Parts: sequence; structure tokens; C-alpha cells
Amino acid sequence: MVNALLIAHKEFTDMITSKRLWLIVGLFLLLSVASTYATSFGFRIAGLRVARPMLTIASNLSSTMSYMAPILGVALAFDAISGERERGTLRILLSRPIFREDVINGKIISALVVIGLTITASSLVSISVSILLHNVTVSVDDISRICLFIVFSIVFSFAYYALSLFISTLFSRSSYSLISGIGIWIFFAFILPIASSLVATVLLGPPPTIPLFNRTQGGQFGNMSLPESYVSYYRKVSEISSAIQTVSINHHYSQIVNPLFGAAISIGPAGSRVERTLDVPTIISSHAIDLIVLIIFPIIFLVASYMVFTRRQEK
Amino acid sequence: MSLAIETESLVKIYGKKDSGVKALDGISMKVPKAGVYGLFGPNGSGKTTLISILVGLLLPTSGSAKVLGFDAVKDSIEVRRRVGLLPEGFGFYDHMTALENLVFLASLDGIPPDRRRVRALEVLEAVGLKDRANAKVSTFSRGMKQRLGIAQVLLKDPELLIFDEPTVGIDPEGAAEFRSMVRRLNEEGKTILMSTHLLYEVGMICTHAAIIRGGRIMMQGSIEELYRPFRDAKGYSYEIHVKPGSNMPLQEIRLLPEVSEVVQSNDKVVVVAKKDIGGDLFSLVSKSPYREIVESLTPLNPSWEDIYRFYQGGV
Repeated sequence: MVNALLIAHKEFTDMITSKRLWLIVGLFLLLSVASTYATSFGFRIAGLRVARPMLTIASNLSSTMSYMAPILGVALAFDAISGERERGTLRILLSRPIFREDVINGKIISALVVIGLTITASSLVSISVSILLHNVTVSVDDISRICLFIVFSIVFSFAYYALSLFISTLFSRSSYSLISGIGIWIFFAFILPIASSLVATVLLGPPPTIPLFNRTQGGQFGNMSLPESYVSYYRKVSEISSAIQTVSINHHYSQIVNPLFGAAISIGPAGSRVERTLDVPTIISSHAIDLIVLIIFPIIFLVASYMVFTRRQEK
Repeated sequence: MSLAIETESLVKIYGKKDSGVKALDGISMKVPKAGVYGLFGPNGSGKTTLISILVGLLLPTSGSAKVLGFDAVKDSIEVRRRVGLLPEGFGFYDHMTALENLVFLASLDGIPPDRRRVRALEVLEAVGLKDRANAKVSTFSRGMKQRLGIAQVLLKDPELLIFDEPTVGIDPEGAAEFRSMVRRLNEEGKTILMSTHLLYEVGMICTHAAIIRGGRIMMQGSIEELYRPFRDAKGYSYEIHVKPGSNMPLQEIRLLPEVSEVVQSNDKVVVVAKKDIGGDLFSLVSKSPYREIVESLTPLNPSWEDIYRFYQGGV
């Protein structure tokens, strides 16, 4: 364990002094503050008042995080092992009186600390800047949601770290490892959501046609009701798409993080929209599966990385 | 004879046992302590595989290896505690200074924290890099990196030093420096095992050598032992230098037992015999009239190319 901590210390120093990390942090802060500012500006232009502005700010942060957390994980892991192989430092390391596990343990410990610090600090800085810009008040409930969001985001980023570390143990070239890591992220973040909807619509056929306007009595636009066939069709599309996306860690992260800051939207029996903000215990209990997947995913890839790295022989 | 390394029928097959590539095919090798042992063979002959097994980086398919009395598989940590390895194609952390690299590696070697820096500076001085201790490794030339490689080997003051193709890619001056460093280390009592595909290196610094080809040891022993079968088969050659303009009487030399050839050209006479006639020849040239005209008598060593071809079953 002492050797793992020695390696972790060196890795930690390398990571926090790397341009790569600061570029990601800078980009994250820029995007999250800019998106929060843009949303808030949009509300002001439209003359709208937001009931819980802190949640809107955090919601913007979460959408930025859903892209940046995986990138952070991949950036820290893609050359963790393959880079050592490429540089020829792995053989120098393994010629010391240490176990192979010490090398991978050191990498994992340092990455966990760096991911934790980066996501916590970036989130807090981003939220603080937004609070100062918009002069909003923060409730205890807001703080608990933000804390949970940070924890989930750390786990999410670490899941990508574990996946990328596994790839890095397989390859001897960091470029292959980077391309694979980014490729998987693109697949989960962009391709799978589109492809799953496409598969659902192919399976179900074209959607039923609906009249352009279906005003209810009193002429209120807000209470528009949709035909049951149409609602049922899109509910099925959503179910099929969701079922396909269960393979995606991004999907499970969104499923558990989105309700923290957004109103839960459900479609009532007559096709009406029902919106409400769920309390934290309800969110956790209703998304327990997502939470379990979020935790199990990195564990699976860490175990796989261990197995590959400790069994692989270095000539 | 006290042995530093002893292997018994070492076999290494990459891939499946029945269909994989056989890199080592029953290597039995004895490396005496306090010598410089050259492991000579062409590229792909199994040198690096053998070295990797000795330090526990690879597991043998079958057979056994003892290094400094420890089993290379079961006690690989103990082996690595006592053996310094300079692997082929090694590298350092380029963004760190030479001193930082060595202090980090010293920590993994188990050197106490208060001794690491001092020891790192000592070995940097030993390889002539003390003035570059605080320079980043990225600024080092290939020769300097090679010297830094030797420095990292010396950190733990190992009993046995293993160099895998140490002079590949460095200039002749750097290679000469390396050889003199090896001689110095050997004079200090260190055992050195060095793999090379350069024949002349074996002759220049090794006290013992093994010729390896296709994963098999074709011949091993002291340099004299390697010469003997060649000389027994091809004859013993001697070179006699005579004073310029002297007329060397060759008749008596031709009459010595087993002499097969006597050739004079200018101030040089080459004598070839079927057995070792060094003693008889010396007695002869010590007498008059030879004594007055002979300047030197030297036994001629066969070239390493000839030795290699001989053990290959060639000319």
C-alpha cells in the first residue's frame, strides 16, 4: 500500500500540474457560467420569473457536467497505462520491488482525488459566480441537491475513468486508447439517444396524426389535451428508447440528476402535463436502479482493468 | 563456482502452448558471480524474454530460474530488491527533472525518505550527470538518458546489474563510455549480465558469454572456453613481429609439432598450428638467432564473427 501511495502522490502532482486538466476546468467553468448567464438573460428578456432560480442555475451546470465529466474521466485515464508502456517507464517501474497492483492502485487513488477535487471545486466556483451574477438566495434544500449532484457527477466521471483505464490497459498506444474512450463517449452521449429513438419509431411505425389545435373549453392554450393514441405512442417510444439506453451510463446519470434540478413531468390520463419538483428521498428511491448502475459500472471496469493489467506480462 | 543466475530448461511460449510462438526453448544458463556475462544473439533470439523472466516481468511456460539464490517466479520481489535492470527501450518522465525521476524511483526501491535525494545525487555524480540534476529529462540527449538509465540501476546498489541491449542507438563515444562504466562496476565486485546483438561488445568487456539463437543457448562459458572448440577445429594462430628488414628463418618453426602453416609478409609472421604450441613457439623465439630479430609474439584471438559462425555450424 505504501508503494501505491507513493505512485499516487507522483500521479496526483502530474495531474494537477498538467495543462490538460486546467484546460478542461477552464472550459467547464466558461460553459457553465455562460449557459447560466444566457438562461437567466433569456428569462429577463421574456419577463419571466423563475420560482427557484438556484435550481435553474444548477440545471445548466448539470447539462454542462454531463459532457465535461466524461471528458475529464477519459482525459485522466487514456494514457494511464498505455502511456507508461509507450514511454518505456512501465518497465522501469516494474523493475522495482513493487507489485503490479501498486501501479494501478496508485493511478486509481490519484484519479479519484483529482476527479473529486476538480468536480467539487468547478461546481462550487461555477455556482458561486452565478449566484453573484444573479443575486439569488440558496435554500438548505438547494444545497443538499447540489451536494448530491456533485457526488453523482464524481461517480459518473469516475465511471468514464474506469472505462478508459480498462481500454488503456488493453492498448500499447495512447492514441488508440484516447480514440476508443472518446468514441464510446460520443456513442453514449450522442449516437445512442438518437439511434434508440429511431429504433423505437421503426418498431412502432409512424406516429398517429393529430389535429393541429384541440382547444378545450374556455379557449385556454395551456390546457391543450392530446389524443390518447398519440400519448400512448410517444409513451411507448420513450419506453423503448429508455430500455435501449439502459446500456448507457450517461442515461442513468441523466435519469438521476435531472430530477434534482428540474420539475418531474408526467403525462396525465387525459394527456395533460403534470409538473412537480420531487424531494430528494423520492428521487433517490425512485431512481435506485440508476444509482446502482452508476456505482456498479466503474466497479466492473476497475475489476476488468485489474485483471488485464495484473495478468498481462510485460516483456 | 558461486552463481548469480542459474536457469534450468526455461521455456517460454507466447500464446497457446501448442500453437504459440516459442521464444525460449529449454534455456539452461549459469552466470558466475563477479563476472561480466554477455548474452549474445541476433534480434528475436530470445534475449529480452530471458531477461524479463529473470526479473519477474514475464512468467516462464516451464523450467526454473534462480537469481541470487531466489526463485525468479515465487520470490520476484526479493529478486528485484537485489537486481538493477536497464530494460531495452526504457524511458523516463520527461516533464520531471533527472533528480525528481531518481528520487521517485528511489522511493519505490525502498530507500528511506531522508536518503533518497542524497543517493540520487550520488548516482548522478557516478554517471557524470550531477550538473544536470535539475534539468528536465526532455532536454537530455540519448546518451545522457542512457547514463540516467544506468543511474537508476545503481540507486539501490544492486548485487547484480542487468543491461538489455544497452548500447543500441547511442553514439560510439557513448558506447565506449558505457563499456568503461561496466568495467568499473565489475571491478567494484558487481555481477553484470548484458545482452547485445553486437559481437564486438562481447569480446571487449565480457569475461563470460552465451550465444543464443532461436531461443536456445548454442554455447556458453568463459571467453577462453568459447575460443577453445573453435581453435581445436580451426587451429591456433600466432603472430610474430620482427624488426623491420630482418630475414626471419622459418624452417625451425615449420618443424614444430602440429604446425600447419607459416606465412611471412613484411615484418610479420603468422603461424597456424593444429594444437596450442604457444609454449614451444615462445621457447624457440627466445633463443638465438630469433631473439635478436623478434619484437613480439602474440596468440591471435579469432574474431567474434568467426566464433559466431562456428557455433552456428557455419564456416
